[in-house]
Amino acid sequence: MNVELRFFATVREAVGASTLTREFPADTTVGEALATLESAYPDLDGVLLDDGDVAASVTVMRNGVHVDNLDGPTTTLSDGDRLSITPPVTGG
Amino acid sequence: MTETLPSVYGGEILHVHLDSGETEIEEIDPADARRFLGGNGFAAKQVSEHVPADADPLDPENVLAMAVGPMNATPFQSTSRGVLGFVSPMTNGFFDSTFGGTFPRAQKTTGFEVVVLHGRADDLSYVLVDEDGAAVKSADGLSGLDTYETCQAVRDREGEGHDTHVLAAGPAGENLVRFACTLHESEIREGVAGRGGSGAVLGSKNVKAVAISEGSFQPEPEGDLQQRAIQQMGRLMEDTQMLQEYGTSGLVNPINEMGKLGIRNLQAEQTDEENAEAVSGETLRAEYVTEDTTCANCAVKCGKHVTVESEGITDAKIPEYESLFGTATMQEVYDIERVVKANDLCDRLGMDTISWGVTVAFARECYERGLLDDDDSPHLEFGDADGLVELARKTAHREGFGDELAEGSFRIAESLGDDADHYLYGAKGLEFAAHSARGLKGMSIGYATGTRGGSHHDTRPTLQYDGQHDDTTEGTPEFAARSQHFTALGDSLTQCRFVSEGGWGTMVNENFTEAINLATGWDLSVEEVERIGERVYNLERLINASRGVANRAEDTLPYRVMNEPVPDGPSEGMYCPPDELEEMLDEYYRFRGWNDNGHPTTDTVERLDLEDVAEAVP
Repeated sequence: MNVELRFFATVREAVGASTLTREFPADTTVGEALATLESAYPDLDGVLLDDGDVAASVTVMRNGVHVDNLDGPTTTLSDGDRLSITPPVTGG
Repeated sequence: MTETLPSVYGGEILHVHLDSGETEIEEIDPADARRFLGGNGFAAKQVSEHVPADADPLDPENVLAMAVGPMNATPFQSTSRGVLGFVSPMTNGFFDSTFGGTFPRAQKTTGFEVVVLHGRADDLSYVLVDEDGAAVKSADGLSGLDTYETCQAVRDREGEGHDTHVLAAGPAGENLVRFACTLHESEIREGVAGRGGSGAVLGSKNVKAVAISEGSFQPEPEGDLQQRAIQQMGRLMEDTQMLQEYGTSGLVNPINEMGKLGIRNLQAEQTDEENAEAVSGETLRAEYVTEDTTCANCAVKCGKHVTVESEGITDAKIPEYESLFGTATMQEVYDIERVVKANDLCDRLGMDTISWGVTVAFARECYERGLLDDDDSPHLEFGDADGLVELARKTAHREGFGDELAEGSFRIAESLGDDADHYLYGAKGLEFAAHSARGLKGMSIGYATGTRGGSHHDTRPTLQYDGQHDDTTEGTPEFAARSQHFTALGDSLTQCRFVSEGGWGTMVNENFTEAINLATGWDLSVEEVERIGERVYNLERLINASRGVANRAEDTLPYRVMNEPVPDGPSEGMYCPPDELEEMLDEYYRFRGWNDNGHPTTDTVERLDLEDVAEAVP
């Protein structure tokens, strides 16, 4: 299945692209997708995950919804989903 | 034993009577330091004591109280902010507007924790404060200068260069534009007391600027505050990476991604990603940022300068996230160079980019729906980028339709009648900031109960973006209230919110408590420290209740937020219907110990040790 990946700010700098489409096995979870990205991009190593949980240093959204409001790192991805990763969103 | 004032306090309040030029000095009661801490708390006490409940905000009876915190000029990170306290021309209620730079630290060195401007000068003046007192000086030749020009002109007159720290009103303040702001230009960055109309209050007093000449007072913490601050540094720098590189403009893309960004006067809350990218922090950094800027004693450096050659702009202040909401996405103007121009113009003319932007967006929707037409004003179509710049100039000078815009969206709605109020986006007369009143439940109740009105510095959105209280009302009223304690405490410490949230905590906690105890030598518990914030917030509420602008009827949300769900995107269907708001208000009032009309009860006033400062209002 294909998942659209969106990166913002310092995460975008680490990846070197704002948007990518990447193929994942069916039923890949958010945590598994983040682990894949940590392996693929050295500057993201240790940034996205913390002991299997989504790290406090990033906010991760599936289709615009914070994954903490879904099932966290065990949230399942589907074909065509959009996974967005940004540094923590603060109050301005 | 008689209590003494901790040595971090300068110990005095300076009252400046603009009519006569006379000054008087008041000693700070050590008990008041424990009760109100500083900054916001001290300013609220001054407004409570000196402004009659029936005084118009633009009358000489209003005051402008400039206050700093106990840890300003200590190693405690980023306590370099100052607070302006006054009754707001926008809300007719108490307002505290904060700003950074070097002015507040300089004020601290004079030993005056608060400088209170009373009355009205006969002629346009500026006030020079030093450690001996203050002088009211002629501002002859300064009328009409913009904020930056005024700061420079006062520095030139005083002849000490950047050792004179200046806060100025622009033409908008002189013209009593209700949302006129004040701007402080320092050697290391600008500070803007943006919201609530501090520039208009200064203008109403015939004061063009306030200048500080550095003094010799140095606050001395009772304990090793420096070591405690160093302990927090690692987390601070880790958690503020986006601010360090992009400033708050980095929020445009992710908040649009969440579907919680105001578009076209809130007709939508998500725009195409190409539009968001065009006005994003990423674009600004890649194309326009020239340097990082910073307030005193801050390693985060969230400030940026931008240069836009096509607009003739060199090293202007970067538009903050809130400003990009107000002047870009709410207008559907995605020409970033024109947006930067409009923002720079607002800074120079001295206008709050949030209230101005949301007011223009409101007018544009009224035009779209036939409530305004071309005879009222050109440039009222959504997307008109050139109009954005032209309307800013006209507003500040009250030219043509700018005279209407200068009154803010609520007063325009009242004059238009019909259904114009359906298109408002604000509370208590103050336009909302860029954190969705529909898409974040904590903001729904937070904005409705905010003492400042539509401010995002009463209840904070930060934890809501982390997935807490964004889509549930369960526990949300208590969260909103306790977040208000956190912000009132933080503004009394005068610590930068970004630094406190990034490095110290998002609610009152043991970190703040330890730091306050190290600074003052007190032995407060976390609960007692939170109670300071609660006390300050209740004092603000009591001021507003006495003025008739804080009660259940006023604790409301605009029509669109309560009746029109977000039409699409990730927040589709979200809004705050009236019955939901009423339920949250009941819970919120119960938690606070307020009566059904939203007034602190006599018991609450006693519990918070406020009896000598303010009376309960039935």
